[in-house]
Amino acid sequence: MSGGYKQQPGSGSGEVRKDGKRVAGKQSFGPPGSGGSRPEMKPRDLDFIPEMVGGNEKQPAGAHIHDRARTGTTVGKAIPLVDANAKVTGQAWYGDDVRLPNEIIGRIVRSPHHYAKVVSIDTSKAEALPGVIAVATGEDAPNKFGVLPVTKDEHAMAVEKVRHVGDLVACVAAVDEATAREAASLIEVEYEVLDSIHDMKKGLEDVDEPIHWRGKYHVGTTNVQKRVFQEFGDRSMVENPNAMYHGKWKYMGVNHGFTEPHAVVAHWDSNGRLQLYTPQQVPHYAHRALATVLDVPMHQINVIRTFVGGGFGGKSDPFPHEMCAAILSRKAGKPVRITFDREEVFWVNRGRHPSHIEVQMYADEEARISGFDIDALIDGGGFASFGHVTSYYNGVLATAPYELGSFHYTGARVWTNKPASGAMRGHGAVNTRCAVEVGLDDMSEQLGVDPIDLRLANLLPPHSRTISGFRITSNGMRQALQEVRKGSDWDNKFRKLPLGKGIGIGCGFFISGSGLPIHWDPNKFPHATVHIQVDMDGGVTVHTGAADIGQGSTTAVAQVVAEVLALPIEMIHVRSHESDTSPVDLGSYSSRVTFMNANAAIRAALEIKEKLLNAAWDTLGYHPDTLVLNDRRIYYKHDPAIGMSYLEALHKAQEDKGALISSGAYRSPPMGGVHKGAAAGLAPAYSFSAYVAEVEVDVETGIIKCTDVWAAHDCGKALNPLAVEGQIIGSCHMGLGQVLTEQMVYGRTGHLQNANLLDYKIPSVHEMPNVTPIIIESCDPEGPFGAKEAGEGPLLPILPAVVNAVYDAIGIRINDLPLTPDKVWAAIAKKMKVEGIDDPSELPVPRIDFSDLQEKLAKRAAEHEIRDKKRQRSEDTNAYVNGVLFGFNPDIPLEDQVEGWKSADKPQPEQLAELGLAGKAWLKQEQRHMGGEN
Amino acid sequence: MLMPPFELHRPGTVEEACKIAAELLEAGQEFDWIAGGTDLIPNYKWHINTKPHVISLSGIEGVSQISMNEIGCMARLHDIAQSDQVHPLISEAASKVASSLIRRNATLGGNLCLDTRCFWFNQTEEWRSSIDWCHKCDCGTGADCRVIPNQNELCVATYQGDIAPNLMVLDARVHLIGPNGERDMPITEFYQLDGMTRNVLQPGEFMLKVTLPDDVSDWTGAYRKLRLRDTWDFPEAGAAAAWRKGDRSTLRVATTALESIPRRHDTEVAESNGDVKSICDAVYKSTKPVNNTSLPPRYRRNMIKVLIKRACEE
Repeated sequence: MSGGYKQQPGSGSGEVRKDGKRVAGKQSFGPPGSGGSRPEMKPRDLDFIPEMVGGNEKQPAGAHIHDRARTGTTVGKAIPLVDANAKVTGQAWYGDDVRLPNEIIGRIVRSPHHYAKVVSIDTSKAEALPGVIAVATGEDAPNKFGVLPVTKDEHAMAVEKVRHVGDLVACVAAVDEATAREAASLIEVEYEVLDSIHDMKKGLEDVDEPIHWRGKYHVGTTNVQKRVFQEFGDRSMVENPNAMYHGKWKYMGVNHGFTEPHAVVAHWDSNGRLQLYTPQQVPHYAHRALATVLDVPMHQINVIRTFVGGGFGGKSDPFPHEMCAAILSRKAGKPVRITFDREEVFWVNRGRHPSHIEVQMYADEEARISGFDIDALIDGGGFASFGHVTSYYNGVLATAPYELGSFHYTGARVWTNKPASGAMRGHGAVNTRCAVEVGLDDMSEQLGVDPIDLRLANLLPPHSRTISGFRITSNGMRQALQEVRKGSDWDNKFRKLPLGKGIGIGCGFFISGSGLPIHWDPNKFPHATVHIQVDMDGGVTVHTGAADIGQGSTTAVAQVVAEVLALPIEMIHVRSHESDTSPVDLGSYSSRVTFMNANAAIRAALEIKEKLLNAAWDTLGYHPDTLVLNDRRIYYKHDPAIGMSYLEALHKAQEDKGALISSGAYRSPPMGGVHKGAAAGLAPAYSFSAYVAEVEVDVETGIIKCTDVWAAHDCGKALNPLAVEGQIIGSCHMGLGQVLTEQMVYGRTGHLQNANLLDYKIPSVHEMPNVTPIIIESCDPEGPFGAKEAGEGPLLPILPAVVNAVYDAIGIRINDLPLTPDKVWAAIAKKMKVEGIDDPSELPVPRIDFSDLQEKLAKRAAEHEIRDKKRQRSEDTNAYVNGVLFGFNPDIPLEDQVEGWKSADKPQPEQLAELGLAGKAWLKQEQRHMGGEN
Repeated sequence: MLMPPFELHRPGTVEEACKIAAELLEAGQEFDWIAGGTDLIPNYKWHINTKPHVISLSGIEGVSQISMNEIGCMARLHDIAQSDQVHPLISEAASKVASSLIRRNATLGGNLCLDTRCFWFNQTEEWRSSIDWCHKCDCGTGADCRVIPNQNELCVATYQGDIAPNLMVLDARVHLIGPNGERDMPITEFYQLDGMTRNVLQPGEFMLKVTLPDDVSDWTGAYRKLRLRDTWDFPEAGAAAAWRKGDRSTLRVATTALESIPRRHDTEVAESNGDVKSICDAVYKSTKPVNNTSLPPRYRRNMIKVLIKRACEE
C-alpha cells in the first residue's frame, strides 16, 4: 500500500500496484472529504489538546473531566458561527420570512386605556367587512397562561380587564393588511375606565381594584405581586462600621431593542395539528402555553422556531399574539401571519424592570465587607412574566463574588398599568450590581484604599459557598481584576486624570444556567437532552431543542460534537427548529444553553465515539484505550499506520444495528439551602467579570463619552473565542445603552412616549468605545470542556464601571440611570453652587491619599491569591464557606459558632418598623391571614 | 406599518409640477409634495396628516444643482456634505443630519420644509388615539394641544432641521414657485409660527432653490448641534454662527430646534455689542423651548448658551 497506510491489517492480500493506484475492490468506500481512500487527514493539532493528555495546551487551572474527549478539532478555536453564512447572505428565515400558501394577515386590537373593564365588544361591523375571515376575542380563549407555572396571569386577549395601553382586546384576520387594519378599527369596545397606577410606589398601597387578584395569597388589597425577604449572617457586624455607603438608586426601564420585531405564523395542517412558526427563545414554554390555551394536547402542536433576530430575554415568554394567530387560524382554516410594528414590541416589552433600589453597605476596621442591606422595589407592569424570579435575583445575585459578614434583602415587585417587565440580559442582577459596585468604590474612597485592592482582598475563593448557600465552583474573578488593572494601566490613571477624564472599575457575577428549571416536573426531568444520529454517509445529525438566538448555541453544540468525534465541523448538522424532532429543551434563558446543552451533547457524542471505537477494535484488534480518533480516521496510538477511516469504522459499527443513535442529557447536581427562595440564583456554575471603563465628560454639557473599555470575563473555557468576544462587546454595547441613554419614558399621562427606535436611544456605533475583550479561563469542573456562560454576565460590570469613571472625572456620583446629559449637567450645576464656582472647568477632581489599610489589603490580596490558586487546582480541598474571612470555622455550621448568625426568609415582628421602601410590602398581611377569600 | 393608499404624481418639469398642483387645487384635492421622502414617508406610515395625492419632485430635471451661490431643492444632503463647491458651513450642517443612509435620500428642500416634531404627535395612529389625538393631527376632533393643554389654538411642535440656521447666518434667500409664479425672500422670512403653519408656502407652492450672496465665500463660521447620539438624531438644540473673515463685528447667530421655527438673533447680537457671553444670555432669555423632544426644555435652553459660545469660537 502506498504511503504506509494500512487499511485493514491482516485482511488485505498485500498486493501493491506499481503505478501507485488502488487495488480494485479493496476499498469500496471513501468519497473524498470523509476520510476514505484519500486520507487528507490533518495532523493532530497538539496546541489545542490539553497537556494532561499529551498536548501542548497549558492548563493553569488543572485537569478537566473532558480532557480525554479533546481531539484538537474545534474547541478553543475562533471559528465563524455555523449559521453565519445564512445570515450574511440573507437566507436565514426569520419570523416574518415564513410564507405559507393561502396565508391571511392577522391584526390585533389594542386597548387605548391604561386600565379598564371591558364591558362589551361588538365585532359585527368588522365581521361584515368584505375580506375579513375571522375575528376573535377573549371569550375564545379563557384559559390563563404565563411563563412561570406559579404566576399564570395572562390571557390571549382581555377576558375581563385591560391592564395597559396596548393590551390585547381582540384580533382579526383578513385577506390583506389593509383590510385587517380597517376591520380592527371597526371593532367597537365599550370600556369602563378604572383608576390606573403608574408610580410603582403606589403599587404598595391598598386599592379598590388591584390589577390582578391572587386569592388567598394576595397581599392585602395592594398591587404587590411578589415580596421577598432574605437575611443571612450576623447583623451585629454592621454596627460601628469603618466605612459605610448609603445610596438610593433609580433605574428607568429598558427594552431589549432586538432587531427583529415579533412575528408569528400559525397553521392548522390537514391532520388538524397546529404548526406554529415563531422566533422564540423558549419554544418549549410556548408549546406548553399553546396546549393550555387552545385546549389541545402538546403532541398535536409543532412549534417551529424560526431564526431569531435577537432575543436578549424579550422572546422568552409565551406571548398572547402567538395564541391569537393560532386561534384566528383555527377559525379561518388558513395560515395566519401576525407581524408586529416596533411600537407593539414595546407594548409586549418584558424589558428590564424600572426600579428603586436602596443599598447600604458596611466595611469593618479590616476593610472586610461586614454587610449589605439591599431594598429593591421593582415595577412589573401589567403582568407577572418572569417577575417572581426577578424579585429574588435583585437581591441574591449580590451575594458574590465578595465575602460578606451579613446580607439583608427586601424586595417587592408590584403591578402597574404599563407593559409588563420581564427578563432581560443580566436578568435581575444588573441594577443591584451597579449600586453595589458603586458603593464599593465609595467605601474604598472613605477607607483610603484602591477600589481594585478592596475587591481583591474580599473575594470568595474557588470552590466555596456564598452567604446564601450558592455553590461556587470555578472562579476567575481575581484574574479578571488583575488583567483589567494591567490592561488599562489603572495604577497610573486612577484618581490621576485631569478634570473631565475618568476611569472606573466594576465587577459582575452571574448564573450559568439556573439550577432549578422553571418546569421541573416530573421530578427528574433533565434540563437538556441532545440526540445524535449518524447514518452511512458519515454526516452527523444533532437534534437539540436549544434555541439559537444569535448567541451561537447551535455552533457551540456543533463544536463539541465535532471535537469529540474529531470531525470537521461541516459534517455536523444541527437540527433545532422543530419541536416534532427536537428533544425537549428548556430554552435560551438564564445563560444555560452552552453549559447544559453542550454537556448533553458531549455525553451523546461520547456514546457514538464508543461505538465507533468498538467497531475499530473489532477490525484493528487494538483496544479502544489504545486507539486515537483524529480527523476522519481511527488509528493505533503507537503506530499511526495501523488504522481505518472514520467511514469504515462507521459502517462496521452499523453492520447489525443500522444508524448509530445516541441520546445524552444534562441535569444539574443537587445544590443549595432549604430556606424559602433558596433555589433562586442557584446555578451549576457562575461567571465572573471585571471591567475598567474610561470616560470623557463634557463639563459644560454633561455629555458622557465612554472611550475605552477593558473587559475581562471568566467564561470557564472559551469554546469559541470569537463568539465569546462577540458576546463581551455586544454586552458592553447593551449595558452602555442602559447607563447612558436608553430609557422607556412614561410621560405625564402615563403613556410610553418613545416606543420607537428614533426616540428610544440605543447607542450607535459612534458611541461605542474601544472594547478590549479579555477572556479568563478558570476551567469549570462541570462545564463542557470547562466552559461557563458568556452571554449575560459581561453586561453587568459596564454600568458601575462607567458610573465610577464619571465620578473619577468630575467628582460627582449620580444614582439615577441613565446618565443622560441633562441629569449630569444638573448635578454639575448643583455642585458648582455648593462649591461656589461659576466656571465648571474649576470643578474639583477627586484625588486619593492611600491610608495604612492599603498596604494591609494588598498583603491580604496576595495571600488570597496563593489560597485561590491552590483551591483552583484542588491542591487545597478544605471546605470554604462565606465567613472564613471573619475567622469562622467552615466545618462547623456558622449558626453553632456565631451567636446571631442566622438565615431568615421572613421578617421578625421587631424588624417591621425598620424596613425599606420595598420591605414595606411586608407590613401587609396575605388575605388568608386576614380571614379573606380562601 | 402600512401607508394608506395615495395617488403618486411624477412631473418631469417644474411647469408640469405647478400644473398638477393647480389642477388638484382646482379639484379641491389635498396633496403633499415629496422630495427625498425621509420625513414624509415615516409620517405617512404612522398615518399622520396623510393626503390622497402626493406629487414627487424627484423626476424633475435641473433642480439638484450644487454651487457656492445656489443649491437646488432636490440636492441630496449627502452630495452637499461631500461637495467642495458649497460653503463649508452648509456642508458641515448637512453632514450632521440624521444618518448616512438617510442623507443619501434626503434633500435640501425637504430639510428646510421639515415638518415640526413633537412626541405627542410623532406617534402611530393607535398611540395618538389613546391620548385622544392632539391639535396638530386632530382627525377632526378639535383636540387640545398636549404640550400646552386646555387650548387648541397654538401648536408648539418643534422645528428640528439642521441646515436652516446655517443658511440664515449666511444670509441665504429661498426661491418658491407655484401656480401663481415665482417669488423669493430671505430665509429668515420663510419660517412662520406656529408649529402647524411652519412657513409661508402657499397651497401649490414648493421651494425651488436656495441662493447665497456673492460674497458668501468670505464668510466663516460654525454649527453646533446637541444630540444624544452622533447619528440618526434630530437636533435637541442647534446654533450656527457666521462672520466675515477677520471681522467679528459682522457676527450673526441663529438657532434651531428650540421653537416651532428656526430664528436668527439679530436683536440679541446687536444689543450685546458682539460680546459672545452677552449674546448667549440674551438668546437664552428670548428662547423658550417646550417639553416635546427627548431632552427636557430647561436643559436645552441652558445648552443654547454653550452651543452659541462654541459656534462663535474662532
